[in-house]
Amino acid sequence: MEPPKIWREKRGKYLAIGIECSDCMTKQFPFTENCTKCGSENVKEYKLATTGKILHFSIVTQTTDEMMSSTPYLIAIIELDDGVKITGQIVDCNLNEVKEGGDVRMVFRVLARNGTEGLIRYGYKFAPI
Amino acid sequence: MAKRNVFIIGTGITSFGESYENSSGKLASKALTLAIENSKIPKESVQSTFIGSLVSGSNSQPTIGANCLRESNIKTPHVRIEAGNASGSAAFHQAYLGILSGVYDCLAVVGVEKLSDFVNVGVVERILGSTIDYQWEFEMGATLTSLYAILTKAHMKEFQTTMEQLASVPVKNHKNGVNNPNAQFRKEIAIERFLNAKRIADPIGKFDSAAFCDGSASVILASEDFILHNNDISSKIPILGSSYASDNLALHHRNSLTELNATKTAAATAYKMANIKPENINVAEVHDSYPIGEILAIEDLGFFRKGEGGKAAEEGLTELNGEVSINTSGGLKARGDPFGATGVAQIIEIVEQMRGEAGKRQVGSINYGLTQNVMGTGAITYVNVLGKEEVKK
Repeated sequence: MEPPKIWREKRGKYLAIGIECSDCMTKQFPFTENCTKCGSENVKEYKLATTGKILHFSIVTQTTDEMMSSTPYLIAIIELDDGVKITGQIVDCNLNEVKEGGDVRMVFRVLARNGTEGLIRYGYKFAPI
Repeated sequence: MAKRNVFIIGTGITSFGESYENSSGKLASKALTLAIENSKIPKESVQSTFIGSLVSGSNSQPTIGANCLRESNIKTPHVRIEAGNASGSAAFHQAYLGILSGVYDCLAVVGVEKLSDFVNVGVVERILGSTIDYQWEFEMGATLTSLYAILTKAHMKEFQTTMEQLASVPVKNHKNGVNNPNAQFRKEIAIERFLNAKRIADPIGKFDSAAFCDGSASVILASEDFILHNNDISSKIPILGSSYASDNLALHHRNSLTELNATKTAAATAYKMANIKPENINVAEVHDSYPIGEILAIEDLGFFRKGEGGKAAEEGLTELNGEVSINTSGGLKARGDPFGATGVAQIIEIVEQMRGEAGKRQVGSINYGLTQNVMGTGAITYVNVLGKEEVKK
């Protein structure tokens, strides 16, 4: 876990800031300096909707050591209320409670720990409403 | 200027599996030496070596070609080419272009991976994390396996694909793998073992994914001129089409999760280059790292209609000498998956089929063969079409 990288990505991972294109009006995530749909440079920062629904999900039982302590956990593709799709974990629920189409809200959580003395990596996850 | 023809004149492959006594450079050297011997050319005639590898092994030496060529006592320029799990095919494609362009007449391609050194938890998962969107999928908690589980569920939901249909893919591939002397697993596995296994990422079970391992595979490519001047060359398999295509890295940026767009695009170009249609293909090696991978492949390559891949697999249409023989080598599932070596191993299987040297795996009557090699969840796909020796462009 590299401090400059965590610092650089903080507006995306901590605040879920993407872009809205002022020409084609699409909302996108993550942040880019050009619109990924029409190529326009006329984009502004946009804070993603904080609620949405689960499109697809699966369970993770084996991953890198810094995230192993959270396993088993659910991972999902979420469609936010503004139409933006995003990948994140489903937390604050039992593993068997989650269904496709279920409503969720964005929450701020610990994503990974680098041992007992290293940095902690934070970011968004989702909790059922 | 007329387009040049490019041929595969020799192949070499190590056995796939756990190879603790060999470094990645040594494995690569073994395959390369075998390929040069098989081509019956002096090793000095190789003009350059293209190495495909996802990671270089535990010795952190990205320029793996230096170790490989020193071991083989071959002095050519070398370059390593990376395209995730499709690195071997990427190296092959670049070498193909090198000869097509007229700059080179004889090139070596080596695919290699050395994964059994990584014994600590999560290291290979992190390597595979680099084949999906590392920042916005892997670091948020997704893994390659969990994303393939999502692809599997999407196909099951849209086309009523069943667990039995999915399990028939690895059952068939293990059956084919029994007759492949270089395969990691040469054992048939009953369908019940797949269906009753513990789920690692529902609906993917413990036995469903291909195992990562060590191995290397190499082919020698040459131009028609070169072959005319080297009378010892005994076999020349023409490369009729070679193409690749890309898609959005992250699944959440794709429009459809029931098809791999990169496969469709790369295949369309490769078929056009070869001037054939999907139904002309008799034998194909496709990327079956998970059962859904093979089902998506046989649909997206145009062998079966969208949604009918599961049914085709269950009805045996993809078995040896079926409607189209898929993964006669055992595929990634039975042969084992040393990422960078896999794409080249797929090409070697088709070359052996075209030469009629596949032994008990030999497909009866064939004219055209195909390979399909995928990075991650389909962000890059390579497709190659090979023909029989007498087939001309």
